[in-house]
Amino acid sequence: MRRIALGFLLFVTHFCDAQFGSPIAFSDSQEKTVLEASPEFFILDWKPNTSLHISETPLEIITDSVGAQKVNLFRDNTEAPILYSSNIITPVCADGDCKFMHITLYWTLLGDYAGFDRSVKEPLTKHDHDEFLFSDYWKLHDLLKDDNSILKRRAIDELVTKPKPSKIEGVDALSGATVKEVKESVVSGALYSCYVAWHLVHGKIKEQIKAHTVQQQDEAMLVQMLNNDHTNYQMYALENLDQNQYKVNFSRVSELFKSGIPLVRSFIIKNLASSFSQSPTTMQPFWDALPYIDINTRSLLLQHIDFASDATVTHISTQLSVLTKNQLLKYLEHLASKKVISTEVLKNLEHFSASNKEKNAYLVTEFLEDNS
Amino acid sequence: MKNLLTVLILFIASLNAVAQDILLEAESFDNPGGWVVDPQFVEQMGSPYLNAHGMGKPVKNASTSVEFKKSGTYHIWVRTMNWVPGEWEAPGRFQLKVGETVLDTVLGTRSGWGWQYAGEAKINKKQATHIELQDLTGFNGRCDAIYFSTKKDAPPSSTKKLAAWRQEITAQPNAPEEVKTYDLVVVGGGLAGCAAAIAGAEQGLKVALIHDRPVLGGNASEEIRVHTLGIYGNFERILKKIDTEHYPNGSADAKLDQEKRDKNVKSYDNIDLFLNWRAYDALSEENSVKYVDARQTFTGERKRFTAPYFVDSTGDGWIGFWAGAEFSYGRESVDTYGEHWEEHGELWSPKEADNAVMGSSVLWGSKDTDSPQSFPEVPWAMPVSKDYSEVNGEWQWEFSRNDLSQIDDAEEIRDHMLRAIYGSFSSAKKDEVNENRKLEWVSYLVGKRESRRLVGDHIFTFNNAKEGTEFPDGVVIETRAVDVHYQTVLEDENNPDFISEALFYRAPQYYIPYRSLYSKNIKNLFMAGRNFSCSHAGLGGPRVMLTTGQMGAAVGYAASLCKKYEVMPREIYTGYLEEYLNLIEDQKYEKIPTSKK
Repeated sequence: MRRIALGFLLFVTHFCDAQFGSPIAFSDSQEKTVLEASPEFFILDWKPNTSLHISETPLEIITDSVGAQKVNLFRDNTEAPILYSSNIITPVCADGDCKFMHITLYWTLLGDYAGFDRSVKEPLTKHDHDEFLFSDYWKLHDLLKDDNSILKRRAIDELVTKPKPSKIEGVDALSGATVKEVKESVVSGALYSCYVAWHLVHGKIKEQIKAHTVQQQDEAMLVQMLNNDHTNYQMYALENLDQNQYKVNFSRVSELFKSGIPLVRSFIIKNLASSFSQSPTTMQPFWDALPYIDINTRSLLLQHIDFASDATVTHISTQLSVLTKNQLLKYLEHLASKKVISTEVLKNLEHFSASNKEKNAYLVTEFLEDNS
Repeated sequence: MKNLLTVLILFIASLNAVAQDILLEAESFDNPGGWVVDPQFVEQMGSPYLNAHGMGKPVKNASTSVEFKKSGTYHIWVRTMNWVPGEWEAPGRFQLKVGETVLDTVLGTRSGWGWQYAGEAKINKKQATHIELQDLTGFNGRCDAIYFSTKKDAPPSSTKKLAAWRQEITAQPNAPEEVKTYDLVVVGGGLAGCAAAIAGAEQGLKVALIHDRPVLGGNASEEIRVHTLGIYGNFERILKKIDTEHYPNGSADAKLDQEKRDKNVKSYDNIDLFLNWRAYDALSEENSVKYVDARQTFTGERKRFTAPYFVDSTGDGWIGFWAGAEFSYGRESVDTYGEHWEEHGELWSPKEADNAVMGSSVLWGSKDTDSPQSFPEVPWAMPVSKDYSEVNGEWQWEFSRNDLSQIDDAEEIRDHMLRAIYGSFSSAKKDEVNENRKLEWVSYLVGKRESRRLVGDHIFTFNNAKEGTEFPDGVVIETRAVDVHYQTVLEDENNPDFISEALFYRAPQYYIPYRSLYSKNIKNLFMAGRNFSCSHAGLGGPRVMLTTGQMGAAVGYAASLCKKYEVMPREIYTGYLEEYLNLIEDQKYEKIPTSKK
């Protein structure tokens, strides 16, 4: 009851502001109708001289006691949508003690967490009323970056429960994975603030923001996403570009195959599977990337070994160290299917097989024995 | 045990000489000392083997004695493997002592399973020769067999040739000589198998329960130590006999539940329990399993099990696989069953099908002591653990990679996890706060989440869970979130590749139909456990052990009706469903004996 009463008191003082959108409600940011610098905690690239201006959206976040708070969209000077933002005031209550949390949140065009600005006048505080240190803000930023945090699937009450001690090992019982995970991911002494912030960022608004973006989606936006360093933008673009757009942007796609995260690489190669047989020359950059990509993607790549050029097959024989056991077996299986194995490949195989530092040398030795 | 040693005399006519060969299976040693018998990878490397699982401290010698029929100088090979070759000393090194002589050759140093030449020794047939394996490291040196020959011809290394050679040299007949006949043969003594055996036995079936470990429970056993999750559904009474408390995974509390489980299963007179027996073959004729062959993991003794009905609760779906049952492995494409979940996209259900599956865990833990504890340097582990530093492991310690089969490459998966564990602990030990910390327990068994899934008349999917589809034969009930894991390295290559993350979908109460619990094409084969009929995403919820236990109990009762009417599992659904559901309802409470009414 105390929580509601205090919430109501604070609500009254902010009531008018909240109804008219966040630029008014949030003291530090009321001037921020233009963004000319990166938010203080931010995951996207911020190019020099960027200037974003605010535009309204029909989106809003409703918080306890305060009510609806506007979610705005920042656009660049070509009116392209770049970033969603909301100045949030929300009560945080722990053990009957309530206070307001002031924070400006940012989302990507796909509704993912993009960053936050803290309020200078109303810094975040911990349960013992100490102000957040700068390192605490960083930890909050790390937490908010984790869209699959343990805070997602647990009620706050569950997170403060400790596991029972072990009957057999007493005090030496292994600590519960959950408790450990929570401890590692939240700001010490600020579980409730972290919990509230995480659920604001990753709440229903995520889907609403994405839906709002999709309504405005066009090819230019997809290409911009493809060229962005943000992984979710890359994946979204790769999922939504058509075959022709893949061709037009092939240079970037093959670059992403080398530089992207494993998930992106796997998606690309699965999507281009038929190209290995249809236009083997075009796919050469993919073979060139073989030693630099992750194991999972390399396995997917080696599925197409039968369409690789002789030069590529020969080149791989100098890269056997990077192959796992089953990848090496796949490669040897390909060699075995050939009528003739070139002298150069044989020489490289012999060299590899003679090494006592190579875990899989014995496989090549056996292969050479069987095929001699 | 000496009678189990195989002696073969080869007459080599061309040389007009007589050679004598002896193959000594390490798992049959009279005294394994501190070495453990490891039968997990028989299908891949050919045999159970002795594993020096000392967590960094050399284990006690394994020993046995052999009677030779001929004196002379023998060449000796040891079948072994350096499990981490590289620019370091092999982690699992050991030596062989023959009689009073320790052979100089350090063993466990060859890449891949095969025969390493150990040296030669003079043997006197007048007295039994004492043989010892002397572990040098405590880091999982492994010895499958020792071969003595008066000729210097190494046995074949390739697994295929080796199997034939072994059969020849041991002069084994093709079929086991002893045949045992039951009403129901259950293969695999995890929660599902135990529950199937109990349910069948309670209905009067004569049941064989074949399990390749010394204790029951599979992933819930004290050997793996995963707590049982899920709900009891219709089978609380049975499942409470074999479940665990909700201790942290890896906790030694698993030992308490182990006692309970073993005692309860053994209390049924009509369950013949074959512990340390591993099935190695099954034959089907006219789409019906005729028999399952199993081998004692220590002695090599073999038995054939026949029955009208079989339950595959092996986890890996081995019985179905051998019998020719349809099965699936890996992730279906998102369109196969329409299992898309916008929030997690490719991680949840891929656009194109692939071999990715949830991984296996190896649990472990350490504890603080009163005095400083040393731990060896483990350079061979560091390429896996990198800068990860930890003092115990939970479910997130999980490994899967799309080039590795959770079945065929299970040894590599287990070994990768051992490197992760030893390397991470070694790093943690460098922190002075862990000076007194001692590695307490590391499992050497892989705790699998997903492998083959046998195909039934119904394939249970994510959508069945999401929508809470109510089936007329929905005998298994679950409320647990659908929980699919992925390796975090997929999102960031800087992450360790042995740590996973879970994606949870909060579903309403959902039901698994009986039709997902028998094979589509092998008429008399039930399945229960993670190898039941489901999609990859469908497995996410019901893969935990109370749910798989429910499956086991459900098929145990179905088998009893099959016997009663002499019908096949499918016919229980088509012709006896009402009676089956009534039977499940009736079994919920223990019957009051007539004398006490």
